[in-house]
Amino acid sequence: MTNPTKKYLLLWAIFIAVMLLLPEFVSKGTLRTIIFANFLAIFAISWDVLSGRTGYISFGHPFLIGIGAYTSAILSYRFDMPIELSIPLAVLTTTIGGTLFFLPALRLKGSYFALVTLAFMELMYQLVQVIRPDLTGGTRGMSGIETITRGAVNNYYLSFALMVTIAISMWLLMRTRFGSALSAIGMNEESVRGSGLSTTKLKLAAFMTSAFIAGLGGAFYVHYLGSIAPRALFDINFLFTIIVSALIGGAATIIGPMFGALFLTILLEALRPILPGVERYLIYGSIALIVYMFKPQGLVVLVLDTLDKLRSIISSRS
Amino acid sequence: MPNKITKKLKRFACLIAVTAFTASSAYADGVKVGFIGSLSSDAGLSALRGAQIAIDELNAAGGFNGEPIEYVKADTREDVTEGIKAYEYLAESEEVDFILSGSIDDVSLGWLPRMKEFRIPTLDTWTSYIGIIDMVIEDYEGMKTYFMNVASDEALATLYVDFGRDILAKKMGWDSVVILHEDTAFGGAINGLVSELLAPESGIEVLDTIVYDTATVDFSPIFNRAVDTGADFIYLISSVNSQVVSSQYTKLQVPKAMTGVNVAALGQEYWEDTGGEGGGISTLSPVPSVGFALDPASQEFVNTYTAKYGDSRPRFPHFNGFNAYWGIKQAFAAAKDAGGFDPDAWPQEMLKQDIKLEKDGEIWLRYGFWQPGEVEERTGRTYPHNIKFDITPPYDNGAPSMVVIQWYENGETAVIYPPKYATGEFAVPSWVK
Repeated sequence: MTNPTKKYLLLWAIFIAVMLLLPEFVSKGTLRTIIFANFLAIFAISWDVLSGRTGYISFGHPFLIGIGAYTSAILSYRFDMPIELSIPLAVLTTTIGGTLFFLPALRLKGSYFALVTLAFMELMYQLVQVIRPDLTGGTRGMSGIETITRGAVNNYYLSFALMVTIAISMWLLMRTRFGSALSAIGMNEESVRGSGLSTTKLKLAAFMTSAFIAGLGGAFYVHYLGSIAPRALFDINFLFTIIVSALIGGAATIIGPMFGALFLTILLEALRPILPGVERYLIYGSIALIVYMFKPQGLVVLVLDTLDKLRSIISSRS
Repeated sequence: MPNKITKKLKRFACLIAVTAFTASSAYADGVKVGFIGSLSSDAGLSALRGAQIAIDELNAAGGFNGEPIEYVKADTREDVTEGIKAYEYLAESEEVDFILSGSIDDVSLGWLPRMKEFRIPTLDTWTSYIGIIDMVIEDYEGMKTYFMNVASDEALATLYVDFGRDILAKKMGWDSVVILHEDTAFGGAINGLVSELLAPESGIEVLDTIVYDTATVDFSPIFNRAVDTGADFIYLISSVNSQVVSSQYTKLQVPKAMTGVNVAALGQEYWEDTGGEGGGISTLSPVPSVGFALDPASQEFVNTYTAKYGDSRPRFPHFNGFNAYWGIKQAFAAAKDAGGFDPDAWPQEMLKQDIKLEKDGEIWLRYGFWQPGEVEERTGRTYPHNIKFDITPPYDNGAPSMVVIQWYENGETAVIYPPKYATGEFAVPSWVK
């Protein structure tokens, strides 16, 4: 094991230890906020694996999250299937079903790819309302879906365990040649193809990985919420929150989407007691915009730059 | 031996003292009421303000058990996920004792699992979804802290069938309709009720159903398509930006009568919002509504409301403002009898609440609740924890589930159905022949 890897593993261990101790120091209300941040981080990581790395901007992630969420919700709520079975089936359905849907889109590039994926989200929004509303609950959705556990602390640990497992898995995956190839596609796809690698296969693998995470996150998310409605998932605001989390934290990194999700979720909830109305979204949007304009590489780079500056100031004084 | 008895007595006395202290100090810091709903819509603000006035009055009368009642609010933006976050915020950050909701259907459905988890007494003043009452029936123990003081949509639809039969079919002689509904959960749900209930029961055939996007700004092609169907009238279902479709209907002088559900037309600002071009349409409305003759007690509430909020919209409370006002009064009366907002004791006392508001010696509005197992005769089903509506003429056992209001071309309003509450007559616009 190389020294940098050891260093990063140590940082992961410290991060996990801090997060595990968090319920001892913060209120249940704060834990509830972090639960949402954990799920948002999962969705943002999922988006980043495909879009952040390869540059193929997907506007259809709610489509994938929705397949996972709706499949598990329908199986458990309508057919009394145990969650232990419905979640893996939902993940499988998302990975296979999502891939079949998106396969033709992977031949497209740039804005065409983005528009097609956006159309998938809209398609899903219409489908769940029209096709078998007796199963999907139609426009109003379903309420009273079985939850995995109850209480802020239990759900916090569950969502954190899921998020950190996905994050570390993706971190390890992105350190392989596969991860490097994906980043290379983002930089220059033609060069990658010229080097003899099949970019279509690589993109397909990236998409399937992304869909797997989205399905997993969606399935767990619905069993946390206990309810599902088309308007909650197939929504442009939901989509933008996912993308902004990845971008504001730092795209093409693992820690970036996690950091971005935590920052955005906590910022919005912190403003609630002071500005309970829509004004907080104005402040929230403005802060996000300023941060992104000031540091387009993301908050992670901002923090690292600040640390470097502090380090150089300290070393110059000493 | 006497020592042992003395010790036991002392322990017992201590236990009593501790219990008494705990009971009295349970609300020593006051009671917290949480509001969950939209803080930017007229209907949401109506509920927020109605509850605020009731709390002000309760505080002026000494609060709850001598302690002040605190009021905190959480915005849902009419978004399902925001609704869940808002409920969690009220429950776990603010630790409220009671929640008053001004939420729409899918938002309420979103936070209901949280209500079951936290077991916080909750009163819904806006959503009328019958599916929630069905959930109370199916899982009474889990849902018993939930109350809805607006008539559920099945009751609304039943009375609307009567309107269709008595006015649209019999009086006007219409037998075909084209439905124009927005692409929302509300639009889809009401369309289902109209297509499956109103049309067949009233002998009216649905010739076409046109779904439009809520962001639509040009309705001329949509109205052209509606007119081309040859239907006798248009049934509009609109809850978002309803003033746009209404004002274009008037400006374009669409040669078909239009009735239905138009949420913007439930408020007095409708006339301003349409630039004085919203006349000639009618809409169903839960009670009380604009154009609804008020009983003295409700009028007093409106007077307080207008004095407090002046020109800030909504200048006249929507129906759920009244529901919130009376609902808060009832929730605290129940809490007084139950010794607080205990999730087991409070619902029992809330079920006993029954405010009958009279006008000219007859029952006009009623804030009571259907008991578990109590069957409503006309529909033959139960509505536990739903407001005690009356859908059978002469409506002498409660408030009707809804009324139909008419906006005339001169900007005046009137209730046109049912006859007991009517202050005017159904009218088609002057340009419709």
